[in-house]
Amino acid sequence: MTHWRSFKDGNWTKAIDVRDFILHNYTPYLGDASFLSGTTPRTERVKARVDELLREETKRGGVLDVDTEHVSSILTYKPGYVIREDDIIVGLQTDEPLKRAVNPFAGYRNAAQACEAYGYTIGESIQNEFRYRTTHNTGVFRVYTDTMKKARHAGVLTGLPDAYARGRIIGDYRRIPLYGMTYLIEQRALDKKRISERDMSNETIQLLEDIERQLDFMKQLVTMAAEYGCDISRPANNAREAVQWLYFGYLGAIKEQNGAANSIGRISTFLDIYFERDLREGTLTEIEAQELIDDMVIKMRLVRHLRTPEYNNLFAGDPVWVTLSLGGMSENGKTLVTKTCYRFLQTLYNLGPSAEPNLTVLWSGRLPQAFKRFCAKVSIDTDSIQYENDDVMRLDFGDDYSIACCVSAMRTGKQMQFFGARCNLAKVLLMALNGGRDEIYGDQIAPEGDIFPEEVLDYDTVLTRFKAYASWMAKLYVNTMNVIHYMHDRYAYERLMMSFHDVEPERLMAFGISGFSVLADSLSAIKYAKVTPIKDERGLITDFKTEGDFPKYGNDDDRADEIARFIAQFFYDELCKTPAYRGAKHTLSLLTITSNVVYGEKTGATPDGRKKGEPFAPGANPMHGRDCEGALASLNSVAKIPYACCQDGISNTFTITPDALGDGEDSRIANLIQVLDGYFAQDAHHLNVNVLNRQKLIDAMNDPGLYPSLTIRVSGYAVNFNKLTKDKQREVIARTFHEKR
Amino acid sequence: MIGYLHSFESLAAVDGEGLRYGVFMQGCPLRCVYCHNPDTWPFDGGMPFTAEALVDKIKRYKPYFGANGGVTFSGGEPLCQADFLCEVLPRLAFASIRYVIDTSGAVPLTASVKTVLRGAQEVLLDLKFPDDSGYLTYVGRDGAATRETLAFLQEANVPTVIRIVIVPGLNDTEEALARYLAVLAPYTVIRRIDLLPFHTMGFFKYESLGLVNRLADKEPPDAETMSRLRAYLDAARA
Repeated sequence: MTHWRSFKDGNWTKAIDVRDFILHNYTPYLGDASFLSGTTPRTERVKARVDELLREETKRGGVLDVDTEHVSSILTYKPGYVIREDDIIVGLQTDEPLKRAVNPFAGYRNAAQACEAYGYTIGESIQNEFRYRTTHNTGVFRVYTDTMKKARHAGVLTGLPDAYARGRIIGDYRRIPLYGMTYLIEQRALDKKRISERDMSNETIQLLEDIERQLDFMKQLVTMAAEYGCDISRPANNAREAVQWLYFGYLGAIKEQNGAANSIGRISTFLDIYFERDLREGTLTEIEAQELIDDMVIKMRLVRHLRTPEYNNLFAGDPVWVTLSLGGMSENGKTLVTKTCYRFLQTLYNLGPSAEPNLTVLWSGRLPQAFKRFCAKVSIDTDSIQYENDDVMRLDFGDDYSIACCVSAMRTGKQMQFFGARCNLAKVLLMALNGGRDEIYGDQIAPEGDIFPEEVLDYDTVLTRFKAYASWMAKLYVNTMNVIHYMHDRYAYERLMMSFHDVEPERLMAFGISGFSVLADSLSAIKYAKVTPIKDERGLITDFKTEGDFPKYGNDDDRADEIARFIAQFFYDELCKTPAYRGAKHTLSLLTITSNVVYGEKTGATPDGRKKGEPFAPGANPMHGRDCEGALASLNSVAKIPYACCQDGISNTFTITPDALGDGEDSRIANLIQVLDGYFAQDAHHLNVNVLNRQKLIDAMNDPGLYPSLTIRVSGYAVNFNKLTKDKQREVIARTFHEKR
Repeated sequence: MIGYLHSFESLAAVDGEGLRYGVFMQGCPLRCVYCHNPDTWPFDGGMPFTAEALVDKIKRYKPYFGANGGVTFSGGEPLCQADFLCEVLPRLAFASIRYVIDTSGAVPLTASVKTVLRGAQEVLLDLKFPDDSGYLTYVGRDGAATRETLAFLQEANVPTVIRIVIVPGLNDTEEALARYLAVLAPYTVIRRIDLLPFHTMGFFKYESLGLVNRLADKEPPDAETMSRLRAYLDAARA
């Protein structure tokens, strides 16, 4: 077969095994960045057109256009182009760039409200269609219990994917260029035949229906590509086709699904094999290779979904998390860094800094030094990349995992995730003190207990009570999630994404904690200072008098950090006690994205001195302003949270001023590498890196035109600073900047 | 023995080579008008630490130090607690952690001070003024001790970085720099001369401590002056 010419055989030629193909055929790259190319005139033309469209989008309040007449799916729209004669990688979500699609499968009302928010009305044909159709959202609310609804209303269980699509599922889109769709469809049909032999239990019936839905969409994808003039029924023959075939898979998936985070996976080293072959054969130059990557990345930057204002409030800046994982090491000790890892990073220079794709470097202490240097340089110049610890994740997820969203690892094509939003544990503490009542609305949510008297709180008594309520909440949380994902599978199943997984993938159910550092400091205050509750006219505890000092999480002080570690471990153990839907394995994250602001708004005053409504710190970050021994002490505290109980990720965002990082570029690069090596050597999981001055953000807030593409890392993703609301801008500015002293 | 410490900065990337853990020690005999840490002056107060507890704390940062990093003792005046540091140093050596001393050099060269200086990976030595009249007016004592410390560093062959704070109106001219250079000319242990712009970020401390701030009306030198002076320095040292 000519498309596999010069590739080395392995298990991958006998079965679907992309990892095996990579390990047999890739070329590690140990050199520096000097081989990289800039843009071509063609790229500049496309970029100029895109910039023009982006300006127009901003001018129209954030949404350029909406197609309100069609329901988004793979074959809904005619082919679309940025510039038809200049696009070398083709394919848009709708027929025009930045025109948003309506996708009501997860929730009709949500889709209608999103249209209205931007001055559109959902078309009559869609209205009629969905009059007779059950959405995911309708299904969930048919089954939700009163308690689940109350916990949701109070914001204890929060950000639940019950009105929008769940996302966080990564198809192994690499399979399309490697095998071609005909083979993949044949294999899936064989899977179905094999599984049909089983007894027809609920599980078997569900799986068989899933497979049939997958097969339907696999065939539609072939048609979609044909409309763009490409035959993806066969494997890719060269690098351009490999990039194009792979992108078609992703494009089909996001036409079908508008989940919060639809990530593209770990593709650079796979694609590099095709680039290397073309370069060797003399059919491609470096400039052309970079041009292909640039054009693919332009397409990723154009991904849009139609969201409601409430959704934007949780996940600010219109993110889509086209997370792209780069680098890492193989299990046999060789680096997986290739030239194409560099080429993706280079797009931040060629096309300018950007929030998307969410470039994620899988860091290992053993990465080639030159690659470390280039990553550090790109971080310092653009604030657009995040780092995750490959040495830790490889042990649990092997060497072919991808990151979904911000920090969620999964074996590519072999594991999927049920996204589980988060539980506001700071609020659970207040609920425990108030005998199960919500401190804001006063509702009885959890089982009724005594309200603590207005006397100095005793740590052991509080801890016992907290554990009882947190344990009750964990059970409610798992059960709520089971309802959500049952209904999502039923009414908004990811047909195309799941077709690029093994037929029976391992399932993970990813829970989350918000208010992590607030809870740790609150418990520390009760233990080490004197905390007296204060009741309001309803007799509920809504404030605290905290006397004396107490150790705070973020200063490498074991007294506080041990409490933080305990919270994560305890809550994870409690979650595991309730079985998860479809046999999923429980995982936990400390990640809030930008929702820490909204969760804080919904939470009363806490014993750590935080006032009612004040934002939480994001993710696993120490509370801003309380980490007073400097950047590394703060990192050391976060590094103590064990990944074993937080396998869905421990997000930490780190902002340092250029002056504090070192004198001059060379020293800043060397020092940033030391920070990353030192942090990750302690088995820490994730770090967002910003190297910038607070003043720059203040200037940008006051005059958005000053830095139109100012990109910063927030919590697991990058965001264009100008797309944040003033509230969120202020919160970002209030965070700890590690400054020179 | 107990040492008295003012504070810690876990990422002190500009006080010496590589990534450094900054230990600020309590107490300083000088009263420089441009000091930005007047809260470190008094010898009473500070957090009591044993050598062992301090080294345990420093060791937590070892993963970040790499080939060049380590701990930097600053202050206050770290050499005023040289006896305490002499208990700390062997423990650092056992842990293979190197240290930098950030000093004004204005202390008597006791045996302990010499031990501390001799073992340093690098010494950051503040030369406040090129002559005694500057010292007497703005520091409160003459510069003899600092010059003797410099002579000792030369004799012991300790890599030395000279730091000069540039204050507008006091020493922000080429002529002033020339006089510093004349003093420093004989010393071959000097690896580098750093010019640090005077800044106003410590002003609030004077107010909160009820101290008189003699430079309250001063502005930091502008970037242009700093680059002009650095260019002059580079040319003169080339």
